[in-house]
Formats: sequence, structure tokens, C-alpha cells
Amino acid sequence: MRPSFFHHLHPPTIPADQARWRHTLGAGGTAVFLMLILGVTGILEMFYYIPTPEEAALSVQTITYHVPFGGFIRNLHYWSAQILLIVSAIHLLRVVFTAAYSHPRRFNYLLGLALFVLSILLDFTGYILRWDVDICYPLLTGTNLIKTIPFIGDFFHRLAIGGGEACSTGLLRMYVWHIFGLTLPIIILGIWHAFRVRRDGGIAVPPPQARTDNARISRNELVRREVLAMFIVGIALILLSSSVPAPIAPAMDSTPAAIREAASQSAKAPWFFLWVQQMLKWGDPFIFGIVIPFGILILVAIIPYIFPKPADSDIGTWFPKSNRLAQITMGLVSLIVILLTLLANAN
Amino acid sequence: MQTKPSTFHFLLFIISGLLLVTLSLVWWNSSRHPAPIPLTPTLSGETEYCITCHADLPEISASHPVETFGCVSCHGGERLALNADLAHSAMRGGANPSDLSVVETSCGGSNCHSGSEADDRHHIQRVTTSVQSTYAGAISNILFTFGAQPDLTARFGIAAVTDENTKTGITSLQAFDPVSANHPSIQKFGEECLTCHLHAEPREGEAFARETGCAACHSTETHTLTTAISYTQCNACHNRGNYDLRTMTFIERTDHATTRLQDYYQPIAQFTQCEYTLDCVDCHTRSEVMGDGDIHNDQASIEYVQCKTCHGTLDELPRTKKLTDPNDIAFTLAFLNPVVELKLGDTILVTEKGEPLWNTRVLPDGTYEMIGKATKQYFTFNPVMGSACEQKPDEQESHYCHECHAVEK
Repeated sequence: MRPSFFHHLHPPTIPADQARWRHTLGAGGTAVFLMLILGVTGILEMFYYIPTPEEAALSVQTITYHVPFGGFIRNLHYWSAQILLIVSAIHLLRVVFTAAYSHPRRFNYLLGLALFVLSILLDFTGYILRWDVDICYPLLTGTNLIKTIPFIGDFFHRLAIGGGEACSTGLLRMYVWHIFGLTLPIIILGIWHAFRVRRDGGIAVPPPQARTDNARISRNELVRREVLAMFIVGIALILLSSSVPAPIAPAMDSTPAAIREAASQSAKAPWFFLWVQQMLKWGDPFIFGIVIPFGILILVAIIPYIFPKPADSDIGTWFPKSNRLAQITMGLVSLIVILLTLLANAN
Repeated sequence: MQTKPSTFHFLLFIISGLLLVTLSLVWWNSSRHPAPIPLTPTLSGETEYCITCHADLPEISASHPVETFGCVSCHGGERLALNADLAHSAMRGGANPSDLSVVETSCGGSNCHSGSEADDRHHIQRVTTSVQSTYAGAISNILFTFGAQPDLTARFGIAAVTDENTKTGITSLQAFDPVSANHPSIQKFGEECLTCHLHAEPREGEAFARETGCAACHSTETHTLTTAISYTQCNACHNRGNYDLRTMTFIERTDHATTRLQDYYQPIAQFTQCEYTLDCVDCHTRSEVMGDGDIHNDQASIEYVQCKTCHGTLDELPRTKKLTDPNDIAFTLAFLNPVVELKLGDTILVTEKGEPLWNTRVLPDGTYEMIGKATKQYFTFNPVMGSACEQKPDEQESHYCHECHAVEK
């Protein structure tokens, strides 16, 4: 039988090791599946969402309460987006903790990291599109943080929200960034990332001579496993979406004064930026809101370049000795982000 | 390890079944909710879904038909939300949009009950400057009594209020802050005696039950607004007990009145038949009760209707007015509380300030008729002039009339 299109997307055979759940945690595949769901549900939402300050929150309410299964579709979109961030973080940790970023996969590591950053930005812009009273604090804080960057801050601020006050041109900018400006790059980089996985020799495993198990599986088997995994993730997502609704709040009044007022009433960042909000309490917004988060990002990005190259036989094995420094660095970064998040949530 | 195709197909079958079950769960979950009921009020043209849950509420009043006003134009809230928390989250004044903290945007919105004195739309300005809302007389009395101010001139109100076009000489009142007062009795007054103005939640107990703001007087039952305000509504504040100025406490009435006569006045007061038969609003006018737009020193300086307003004196008949203008305010008031069919050419009584007593009419034989605003009872009454009354022209306060006309319980 000639392979179908979907089978053809996979190599004819791969080492069995590369497809083991305990090795990959299924994170990359789940991320792809979630992105597909995000694309489909996002397009469905676009049929009703109206990106104007007067109508935005009302159109979200229309989707949630009046469009048949609109609330469910919105919940699917919301939960897929939240879980995507968690799954992406797990994927990143797996790659570092198994030394999978090592040559020849250093460039793909950067591509993956870019995809992670784009996912965070997509989550943030999607959050802002609700345009209700609870998004005022992140909208104001997020856009004002950009302005604190010396020399180029004003330019990027204009790029993000289009000049004027956040309330006037901001929503349309956020919408276009969300639908087009961030989505197009994530599609292109995502395809590139998947292509590079194959080009770099598949998922990182020890070289053939260091493997204990040289068994291989066919693309048919791989597709079967993927289908079953998609079904399981899909069922979990449906259960979550039908029982826990996505957050929604009263429509906001889109005047600068009203946005500032609402921001002070409900000063809470979305959960994935709580760690930055916690640091902002400590002082200079440029240092704590821009320099440190970007410093952390750069530190994570240069892990494959600054630390000693892991031994070839260690690549694709969990917590190898030759990779200790990178594991400690990544572990500390994760720990700090998690602690700051918990601290912000407790306050 | 390869999965056998047959095992895979079996797993796929099981898991597809699970997917179907979860999808039917979603369908069942969404079909459990009641079908949304839309309403597009003609005034706003914006569809709202409040009556999906609130279809059982009575119409608020004949002047506010739900097809015209809907719910959101007064109550606020999220008109599209079908989740109770979200739908109610942005409501003005909770369940009472007439609370004085939000009344300007609810009752006063779109210049409905807020506006200029010239077109008589300044109801909210009248209420917020009135003694029912400022409590100015009581506050200045207490401050004067305990040495905190040198005279009885009002300086403080429950909330700060200004009146740029004052006719009374009082241009503004500062917000009263009993907590920072230096006399314990004033502080006690603040704790115990500030539940009788329109900003305040009432005291606990059924006898005191009322809303705040406009609804304190105009809402006699759940979700109704009326201008036919019965004496029992006024009694929620005005006839429920006494103040003990030594201990600064309020002592509730303990008697349980069984008749109107017993209920109307407390034992020590004197009253005449019309005072316990009519409702307060049959005599006391709009400007006396709701304010006239000026800040007044105390209750006594705004109350002016006396026995002679309707009955005249030995020398004078009460003032009357022939209705010749179809836009006369008397027709509007009679339209809002249709107990009497006023016609052009009718002659009605008017007060000394010219306010229409629109539920009265002069009869051809020179006597008068009155229809109770809340009870629709029919009364006739006579002028003093030409009677055997022995009153002196300069003794017109009610206690002089009570000397002969008081009814004993």
C-alpha cells in the first residue's frame, strides 16, 4: 500500500527509542496538536469577534453565551493556549535535561525557543483581546514596560499598540498581532522546526554504537501512536473545556482614565507573567520588567553555546553527567520563575 | 515494539467511543441551560437577555414599560451575559439603581430625571439638596446643642453638596464626619442616629424596611415605582419611634397598631381627622417632600403647607387656579397617578407658592373635593370663611386648629 499524505510526513522508520513516551514526554507532538486546535477554534471565533473598543467585550460575550457551542469553542481555545505554554516549557526542559540541544541541533534549539516566546506573546495578545476590566492592568503595564527601554522604547511601543493611548489604537494592533503578526511567524518557524528535527537526524538519541536497543518502528506505527495520543489529549481537553469556563469579566470603558481605574481595581497579570509582576514590585520597571526577563531569555538561548559540549554518548539520555552545568542553570531558572509566580499568587 | 493492527483498531474503537461520550456530555451540558430570551428595548435598541431569568418580575411602572426601557438602561449590568455573576457584576447600586451614589447615571441618565429647573427635570438635584437627603437640620441641632457650632445654621450634610443658584442663602454643605467630632454625644449621634436619610440603609426590622435613594419613597413593593405613596411608606422613617437625646439612642415603638387611627400618630401627638384619614402626600407637596432644588436649613424651613392651604382663613378663601394651559404641570401629575380626570377649565386648589393640589377641585357650590392619591377615596370639604370658626387671622399653625379640631384616641 502506498503511504498516505499523513504517513508521508513521517520517515519510513525511526529508532524505537525516539518514540518512547518516557524519552520525549510527548511534549512536542502535543504542542503541534494544540496549535492545530488553536488554529481551528481561533478561526471559528473570528467569525464573531469584533476588534473595536466598543464591541470587543460584547462580542466575546456573544461568542460565550449566544453562539451555539461558542462558549465551548472559546473554552477549547483558552485551555489549548494555556496548556500549550506548559507543554512547551516541559518540551524545553526535556531538551535541556537530555542534552538534546547539542550539535547539530543548536540552531533548532533557538528555533524552538523562538516558538516558545511567540506562544507566550500569542497568549498575552489573546488575553488582551477580551477587552474587559480584568485586562486593563496587563495592557497598561505590558505596553508601558516597552516604553521604558532607552532609545528604541517609543518605537516598539508604537509598533505594539500604534501610537496613541492603549485604549484607542491598541485593540486593533493587538488583534492584528494575534491573528497575523505572531501567528504567521509561528506557523513558518513551526514548520521549519519540524523540518529541522528530521534534517538533524530525528529526536535526539545516543549514536547507534551507544544504544542498548537498536529496534526500529515503522511510520505506520508512529502514526498510530500519534492518533491515539491525539485522541487522549483531545478527550482531556474536551472534558476540561466543558467543565471549567475560560475567564470573562464585565466590559470596560475604553477611556484612558477608566482603564487606569480598572487597572488599579484588578491589578493582576495573566498567570504566565505573574513572575514578572512580582519583580516589578521591587523597583525600576526597566531593570525588573525588561532587563532581567530578557537576560533570562538570553541565558537560556545561549545554553548550547557557552557550556561544554555534552559527550556524544550522553545525547538523548536523562540528566547525563557531562551536561551538569546546563541542567543546573535551567533548573535554577525554572525554580526562580515558579517561586516568583507562587509568591505573586500568594499576595 | 510494534502494536498489532488489530490491537490498534481495538484501541481506536474504544477511544473513539470515549470521544463520543465526552462530546455528548458537551452537548448535554449546553442543552441544560434555558433558551435565552432576547428583548430589544426601543429606547436603546440594544438587545439584552435579562428576562431569560427575570421574566417573573412585575413591570416597574406604567411610565417605564419594559418594551421601551428594558432592564439595562436603569440597572446597568452585562446585557448579553447568561452567567449570573457576570450579568450582575456591573449593576448600578446592586439591586437598587436609584441609590444616590449611582442615581445620576441610572434615573438621571439621558436627562430623564436630571436636568434644568426650567424644564422641571431637576428631580435628582432636588432630592440630593433636600433635607431628606442632607439631614442638615438634625446635624446642626446636635452640633449646636453640644457646643460644636455657635448657632443653628446648617453647615454639614450627610454628603457634601453645593447649590450655586441658592435662594436660601446656603450655598454648600460639607460632609458630616461624626467620627472626628470632639464630643462623645456627637460621635454617638453618628453611630446611632444616621439611618434616617436617603443615603442610608434602614434600621433592621420589618417596620423600617425601605430602599435607599428614590426607591425609599417611590418603591412600595418589590420592583415597582409609584407616585401613589401611602402613609405606611412614610412611616418607615417618620413614625417608628423616638430619639432619646440624653443617651443618643433611638427607641422603637413597641405598640402594635391595629387601626389606622392608632398607627398614624403616637400617643402624645394631636391630630385632626384629615391628618389620619388622608395620606401624607395628599397635603404635602412635591417641593416640600422632595426638595425644591435649594439647600434648606432644616425641615421647618421647607415645610409650608398648613390647614389654611386647603381651608383658607376667616378672611380669605384658599387659593385656586383655573386650568387653561394644556401643558400645565397639574395635568402631568394627574397623568402619572391617574386618580382623577382633570380637564381644561377645571379649577383646582394651589398652595401659597403656586404648587398645584391637582387631586382637588372646586365644586360649583363653592365647596371642594379631593381624591386620595394612594387610596382613591373621595372627600369633600368646606372653607373656613363663612363658618363659625373663631380662629384669629395671625394664628394659623396647626396647633391652633388642633385646639378645637383634634380627635382624641
